Amino acid sequence: MYASASGMAAQQTNLEVIADNLANADVAGFKQMAARFVDVRVGGTLGLGTASTGRHAVFTQGKLMHGGGPFDVAIDGTGFFRVERDGQRAYTRNGAFARAADGSLRTADGWRLRDVTIPANALAVNVAPDGRVTMDTAERRGVALGRITLAAFPAPEALRSLGGTVFAATPDSGPEQRVTPGTNVHLAFGMLEQSNVSVIESMMEILTAQRAYEANAKGVQAADEMQRIANNLHRS
Amino acid sequence: MTWMASAMHAAQAQLETATHNLANVGSDGFRRARATLTFTPAGLVAGEAPTATEGGIRETGRRFDLALLGPGAFTLDGGPARRGGGATTTRDGAFVRDRDGYLGDGSGHRLRGERGAIRVSPDATIDADGTIRDGGRIVDRLALPAGTTVRSGALESSNVDAIGETLAILTAQRSFETAQKTFVAIDEARDKAVNDVGRLK
Repeated sequence: MYASASGMAAQQTNLEVIADNLANADVAGFKQMAARFVDVRVGGTLGLGTASTGRHAVFTQGKLMHGGGPFDVAIDGTGFFRVERDGQRAYTRNGAFARAADGSLRTADGWRLRDVTIPANALAVNVAPDGRVTMDTAERRGVALGRITLAAFPAPEALRSLGGTVFAATPDSGPEQRVTPGTNVHLAFGMLEQSNVSVIESMMEILTAQRAYEANAKGVQAADEMQRIANNLHRS
Repeated sequence: MTWMASAMHAAQAQLETATHNLANVGSDGFRRARATLTFTPAGLVAGEAPTATEGGIRETGRRFDLALLGPGAFTLDGGPARRGGGATTTRDGAFVRDRDGYLGDGSGHRLRGERGAIRVSPDATIDADGTIRDGGRIVDRLALPAGTTVRSGALESSNVDAIGETLAILTAQRSFETAQKTFVAIDEARDKAVNDVGRLK
């Protein structure tokens, strides 16, 4: 009975993760989450069902597509943009930045790109594949504004999700390592990285999880029925 | 009567096996247990036997997701508390690099090769024969039985078939009922034998 109940709980967790993935399928830079389950045994014999060992993001590359915004940047390769908000440092692959009033580049939920700010007199901005940011003003073209550097982690799977596309470092993920784009990693200006969620696959996973949930419910029912019979043994 | 009680126990054990299997329909690398029944003078005894059917292999595209094609298992160490000993085996090949660069299961247990824990860069590759290469250098090799190959970028799903387990649950439930009915029938027959046979009306 408890094995089946743990199976139902596991499938419910699974459904939540898949539903969350689907909800974010259109969010630039979103990374699909995956829940993991292992079987639980006591003393090598008695099976107690299953338990979740947590969920982690799957950092496979999403497809790059043209973004509509004036400051869209996509990462082609591994690494994260280094952002901060209210003094908290975080990391994201969502490069849909917009210029705020103070000249900083921010994502839709206010995370500021730490590397560069865009002065008010900029007419056009360009980001080279190696991360160098330049602007054109009324007087001069190609004024250097700095360079976007990225962060990589020894164990990115251990990053903590701060919701949406933003992650924070943890002791398990290891410290941030600076990556300069240009050799293995490139920046693509005017492009956005699509989420790596496959809608079709997620729909199939939902169906499978639903069926598995139902099957586990049958197990609970059967165990309950058998206990009822056993309880009535003395007077039937 | 003890026979029927043992049959009911056996049905309950079969149910436990089936529900445990079913609960793990989503656990990668899980191998279902097969319920066994043995006839003994004391009655029916239910047990479990391991199965070796391979689960489906599904592509994940992550280089440290490893699927074993053929028998064998990955060896993990005992976690942070017991790095040297406490080796366990698993067929769940979803490995990740930890912050020190060692491959592990994400819960602190490190994967073991022939030379111990495996420390690699994010760009290391794993060949079909288990050889781990990192920047052109051979780092280690996974100890595998002859004939077994490794596939990088794929995982082995659980080999549980949900329909089969549901059937097993229903069968266990019905066997339990049958045993209970027989139990009651024997009880009634004895009731008659003890209380009614020889009674003078």
